[in-house]
Amino acid sequence: MFLRKAEPWLDGSTLGEHLEESGVSRRSFLEFCTEMAVVLGLGSAAAPSVAKALETQKRPTVIWLEMQECTGCVESTIRSEAPTIGDLVLDVVSLDYSETLMAAAGHAAEKARADSMAKNKGSYVLIVTGSVPTKEDGIYCCVAGKTIRQHLEEAAEGAAAIIALGACAHWGSVQAARPNPTGAVGVRDIIKNKPIINIAGCPPIGDVVTATVVHYLTFGRLPSTDREGRPLFAYGNRIHDQCSRRAHFDAGQYVEVFDDENARRGWCLYQVGCKGPATYSPCPIVQWNQRTSWPIGAGHPCIGCTEPYFWDTMSPFYRRLPNVGGFGVEERIDTIGASLAIGAAAGVAAHAGMTVLHQIRSRKNMKQLPEHAPASPEDSNNG
Amino acid sequence: MTTGPARPPARLPWFDTRLPRMRGDITWIYLWGAPLRVSHWLAAVSLVVLFGTGLFISFPFWVSAGEASGHFLMGRFRFVHFLAATVIVFAGIIRVYWLFAGNQFERWPALWPFTRANIGHMGAMLKSYLTLDPKIQPHFVGHNPLAQVAYTAIYVGTTIMMITGFTLYGQSNPGGFFFTIFQWVPGMMGGLQGVRVVHHTVAWLYPIFFSIHIYLAIRADYIERAGVVSSMLTGGRFVASHEKFEDCDLGDHPSVPWHTGEHPTWVKPQ
Repeated sequence: MFLRKAEPWLDGSTLGEHLEESGVSRRSFLEFCTEMAVVLGLGSAAAPSVAKALETQKRPTVIWLEMQECTGCVESTIRSEAPTIGDLVLDVVSLDYSETLMAAAGHAAEKARADSMAKNKGSYVLIVTGSVPTKEDGIYCCVAGKTIRQHLEEAAEGAAAIIALGACAHWGSVQAARPNPTGAVGVRDIIKNKPIINIAGCPPIGDVVTATVVHYLTFGRLPSTDREGRPLFAYGNRIHDQCSRRAHFDAGQYVEVFDDENARRGWCLYQVGCKGPATYSPCPIVQWNQRTSWPIGAGHPCIGCTEPYFWDTMSPFYRRLPNVGGFGVEERIDTIGASLAIGAAAGVAAHAGMTVLHQIRSRKNMKQLPEHAPASPEDSNNG
Repeated sequence: MTTGPARPPARLPWFDTRLPRMRGDITWIYLWGAPLRVSHWLAAVSLVVLFGTGLFISFPFWVSAGEASGHFLMGRFRFVHFLAATVIVFAGIIRVYWLFAGNQFERWPALWPFTRANIGHMGAMLKSYLTLDPKIQPHFVGHNPLAQVAYTAIYVGTTIMMITGFTLYGQSNPGGFFFTIFQWVPGMMGGLQGVRVVHHTVAWLYPIFFSIHIYLAIRADYIERAGVVSSMLTGGRFVASHEKFEDCDLGDHPSVPWHTGEHPTWVKPQ
């Protein structure tokens, strides 16, 4: 554990010097680096490189813009693994502006941000949480007399990279759910010319944020991502394939209602709407709040919060499949499909009965016809 | 073709009254190539298996008791589902090959019977089905255009099922073959849950199609007495010389027996 002294990180000094001054032991620092290397999928052998890259790091600047959001992502981030490492991250990223965390307020805070952006133009990292409202010229979210869209565009101008933190920042999350009254969109819909990484989740796991920042500091670039812009080291696998309850899925052991005996036994939550089979996230491995637990571990089905537009695509959260639009809320595919199938079978049966009756009648009539002419000579050839 | 002395025509007392009277020659013509028939039955079996196991996967109605280590129920159902999926893909490959190598009734253009005349025939077929009147029904050597539209819809539906099915299958191995080649699918259908909904919805096509298809095949056999049910086993059906077909004029065909005087023989439409 770190025992931090309140030593300010001076602009000229490296992170290594700063940690030494703050009383952080070399062992604690290496432990942290090893853990980050493992989270990043580099393996513990990469820890020395991570440590070397981090300790020689000059104090980088981070601007944290909070837009249309609930601050849950900030809460989650400052709860990464151990509080001291959360501190370290906040030190490493040297937050010059963050509405939830900064001490300054009003004009002083805005000035600090403007100064920092001007001074570090082209080199700072922009972390964004929350979505951007676009309807009515974006008046649904204003800070310091300007819409948040203007703030975002100004801040993105000089950013080296953008970390879109949380479901809002990339897909708009709950604000963008149908009918999306404020016209909320994610950062990627506004800013097209900067590298954006998508730390998905509502909220994302703090350690994933930390590891992404460490990756950026170590390698000088954002980690490789999947098609949705999510870092592969964290979002490379499905929850379903890493789940501690997977054995119950394969065995055919399911919770049928939330308070049944099977729920007490910790069986699979597939039947009560778990979206683990459709969700890519490191939740089962990294878990939350110092590996205390995670939603499925606590008996709640996954709601798929790391997937695109999950409020619309993953709901209803306690059913396995989404509702079908246009048929009314209560109508579901199985009802419609089964009715059609039964209807087809019933129609077939009715039609068959009528066909048989019709044929019997017409063949009776045929019987009354006179005998047809005897077979012609050619016919008699036919064996 | 018979050799030897001519035999007298059959004179069974019940023959003239119990069976519909046919005038003129009847002959058996070869229509459906072996690859088509093989792919038909492979598809029939695998689709039944796929629908049954798919129902269980979507709603596991049996729950196993005891330790998880003692059971592999869902695992087995999924295994059989995926196994049947490989069979339907195999059947699909054969069918696609036969779309290019088959005869005029099996080839690619036959899947799209949307000519002006055929649309009229579709109306006549529908009317005949609704009024139960076989006399107003147009006759076809191959499929009637209404049936062909249903089969084409099943081909399209099965293609959708294969794409969505293998997309979902690929998710267990991110970065693997199926995951990579079907990467474009979830985005198009609104995420993996959207893919699941499509897969689940199109699946209902099969029980609807099965009941109608099996019924209409048996009904056609019952009314027309042309052996169309067994045509999917033997490859051929019977035609009578007085029948007029909309899709193929057998009267002008050089190898049809009532033209050559030979009987019986195989007629292979070109």
